[in-house]
Amino acid sequence: MSDLNTRIKEVIIESLELEDITPADIVDSAPIFGKNAAGEGLGLDSIDALELGIAIKENFGVTFSTVKEETKKHFASVNALADYISANSKG
Amino acid sequence: MKQMAGKIFFTAISVLYPVIVYCGYRYWGLSPRRLSLMLLALAFYHFLNFTRSKSQVERGRTGIFVVLVLVCALVAFFADNILFVKFYPVLVNLSLLSFFGFTLWKPPSFAFRMASLHDKSLEKSPSFKAVERYCRNVTVGWCIFFIVNGSIATFTVFVGSDKIWSLYNGLISYILIGLIFMVEYLVRKMVQSKMQSYVPVCDLELDSRPNGALVSFDAGADAANVGGAVAGNRTWGDFVSDVSKVRYYLEARENTPWILHCEDSYFFTVALIAMLQSGRKALVTANRQEAFIKEIKKPEYGFLTDEPFAGDDSATMIQDVLAGTASGECVEEKCAPLKFGKFDKSKAEMVMYTSGTTGEPKAVYKLFLQFENELFELVKVFGNDWVNRKVYSTVNHHHIYGLLFTALLPIATGLPFRRHRIDFPTELANIAGETAVIASSPAFLKRLSAETDKAIGFKCPPIIYSSGGPLPEDVARKASELTGYWPMEIYGSTETGGIAYRQSKNGPVWKPFEVCKMCLAENGCLNIKSSYILEADGFTTGDLADLYDDGRFLLKGRSDSIVKIEEKRISLPEVENRLKQTGLVQDVRVVPMVGKRQYLAAAIVLNDAGREKFAGAPKLAVNNFFHDYLLKFIENTVSPKKWRYLEELPQNTEGKIRMRDIQALFGLAESPNFKILKFRREPGVLTAKILFPATSDYFDGHFPEFKLLPAVVQVDMVLRLARNFLDVPKDLSKMNRTRFANPILPDVPVMVKISYDADAGKVTFAFTSVDGETSFSNGSMIMQTSVATVAGAGENRE
Repeated sequence: MSDLNTRIKEVIIESLELEDITPADIVDSAPIFGKNAAGEGLGLDSIDALELGIAIKENFGVTFSTVKEETKKHFASVNALADYISANSKG
Repeated sequence: MKQMAGKIFFTAISVLYPVIVYCGYRYWGLSPRRLSLMLLALAFYHFLNFTRSKSQVERGRTGIFVVLVLVCALVAFFADNILFVKFYPVLVNLSLLSFFGFTLWKPPSFAFRMASLHDKSLEKSPSFKAVERYCRNVTVGWCIFFIVNGSIATFTVFVGSDKIWSLYNGLISYILIGLIFMVEYLVRKMVQSKMQSYVPVCDLELDSRPNGALVSFDAGADAANVGGAVAGNRTWGDFVSDVSKVRYYLEARENTPWILHCEDSYFFTVALIAMLQSGRKALVTANRQEAFIKEIKKPEYGFLTDEPFAGDDSATMIQDVLAGTASGECVEEKCAPLKFGKFDKSKAEMVMYTSGTTGEPKAVYKLFLQFENELFELVKVFGNDWVNRKVYSTVNHHHIYGLLFTALLPIATGLPFRRHRIDFPTELANIAGETAVIASSPAFLKRLSAETDKAIGFKCPPIIYSSGGPLPEDVARKASELTGYWPMEIYGSTETGGIAYRQSKNGPVWKPFEVCKMCLAENGCLNIKSSYILEADGFTTGDLADLYDDGRFLLKGRSDSIVKIEEKRISLPEVENRLKQTGLVQDVRVVPMVGKRQYLAAAIVLNDAGREKFAGAPKLAVNNFFHDYLLKFIENTVSPKKWRYLEELPQNTEGKIRMRDIQALFGLAESPNFKILKFRREPGVLTAKILFPATSDYFDGHFPEFKLLPAVVQVDMVLRLARNFLDVPKDLSKMNRTRFANPILPDVPVMVKISYDADAGKVTFAFTSVDGETSFSNGSMIMQTSVATVAGAGENRE
């Protein structure tokens, strides 16, 4: 597990004040919003999405496209988010 | 005068008619033709009556009668036939029958018209309906008599001899009429003893009841028999003299208003009536916590109570006032004459406090007029069921329902009431021999049905009322199996008084009291206008309802049980019911929370199946199970985001589960280091059962081979709990002596009790074993209180 992935998970948990969950509980490839067929995923809702978007911006200095579909793709999983951040991070 | 004389003369002729005819015909040798002249005279007299009668119907009726009498007279005259002379009594019967019968068809019945001429107040009495029904029966009785009597009279005309005709119509039928009057009088006396002898509270006077009438009694263990009389008993004579003593006391003082709290219902009623009659506003409070009294009491206020009050030496003990030992008491001679009598109900003021189910206790201003109007309505609907019963209570008379049912109603109707509450369901067995009215509540009936298996065996089934919250149907059924009476539920609130009633065996629909006019407010909540609500546009409750055309309604939950989470409406009971549907949940409360965003949080008590299913599972897995289940029915946004699993939900002292207690639980972030298993929050006191799992970080580093909870963690825990649940200020100012007696081990639940004295800023704590046998640690600390925090410290108090 890369450090970036762990950092992202920590940001998710902190910014959304998630309870009963540790970075280890989050599957890198599982969806952040809703769940996949295997029942994996964080099950976050659309309100969480706004909050998380802001938190990612603040923590990693990346911005997201205003095109909804694009953004959705970046938030598909922790892995997807990590890829996007590594590609776009200014630091 | 002339008219009067004529009336008497013709009435005498009419009454003596059979005798005159008989004597005239038999002994005085008068021919039927001559006798018919008397009939003609009577016809003329009735004709005069006809010309004077006012109503169309009355004219028609007397008109027909006159014609019939005239026809008989003419036939008798021309045919010179005695038969037609003898017809008069039959015609009189017919006439009376038509008259009485007509009033049955067009009420009020004749007997009722007579009764209301006699007693002008009848139409304003709550037993109006019962009297009306009775009078109707009496009128029907008379009609039957006229039919029978008329038939016999006809029979004697044709069959019997002249002597028999004369004897029956001139004597026997009169005797029968007299007998009927007598029987009716006796029956009426009997019925009256079964009707409520209601006197409005504001109209009570010295002689409203006999001096020896029982007002209040005490079946407590300490009620000893003294000289044949039970020590706790109080009669009307005692009541009047006690009220008078309190009045002299009150009226000798400037203080007003008076705070009133008496545990003894008799003392309470005496004090309240005295305040009302003396024109002193009464603040009726169930809560006599020092902090609360301090909050509401201003220097000019009086405080009358029946139990010593530590917080305030200006409190007056009512026992001292009655015994004449209160400071500045009324000396015997100054206490005469007795002060007791009517007061103006539209000027007498009171303040009640709500029980604070949904928020802080709220003061509600009342005019006594409101209570008086409600009493009238209650007597009208329930009064006849109460006759000759004794009143018992399991509820507090400082709240509106208890006040009405266990203090004011007994005083207004003359029913004796017990001075002390029934606290335990087992006590009901002691009153099984009595004919009782029991004012109770869902909390008590729930305990009764849970704790009792065998029917109580009441000699006469008691009448049980339940108010204060909905009574579950299964509890009502069990109560009816145990007592023989299906509890009558009253729906109402401090602000509105009683609104409607139901017995759930007849369905869940509520029938409003006649004076309550219902409609739905814009938000779907029930709005009530009634003679005991002062606001002209009525009072809108927080209860959602379906309203039917006939005014009856169905309650559908509280409107504050519908919340908006990020613009989405969701009903809290719906989420709770869905969770219960899993079959794994014994009890659950879902509460709205506001943090960075709005969300729902659920506190769940698992049932046996649930505990079995989730044994050993990580909490996250349990959360996910319920979350996934809910998503089949509701949107993700309104599904609970945070979860707590407790052994039981926190109840306050009144047995109610309060939203703010559950919300407070979520105010403390969940930590893998400790688990709250259950808790209870009372004013200034928190008790909680806590588990520190072996995996907790708290045990790290000390003695790896012998894990125990470090002292610093215990103190920190106390502070966190105290800040979260008791609104204790953040900063610690001083640590007092603290004892650590025994080690707290991992995975063993412990109890912690934390008290906070806001005035002293002192937090006291004790960790013990769950059974209370072992003390782990205890101590106290002083918090840094600023002036502002002291002022706000009452916030948590109930």
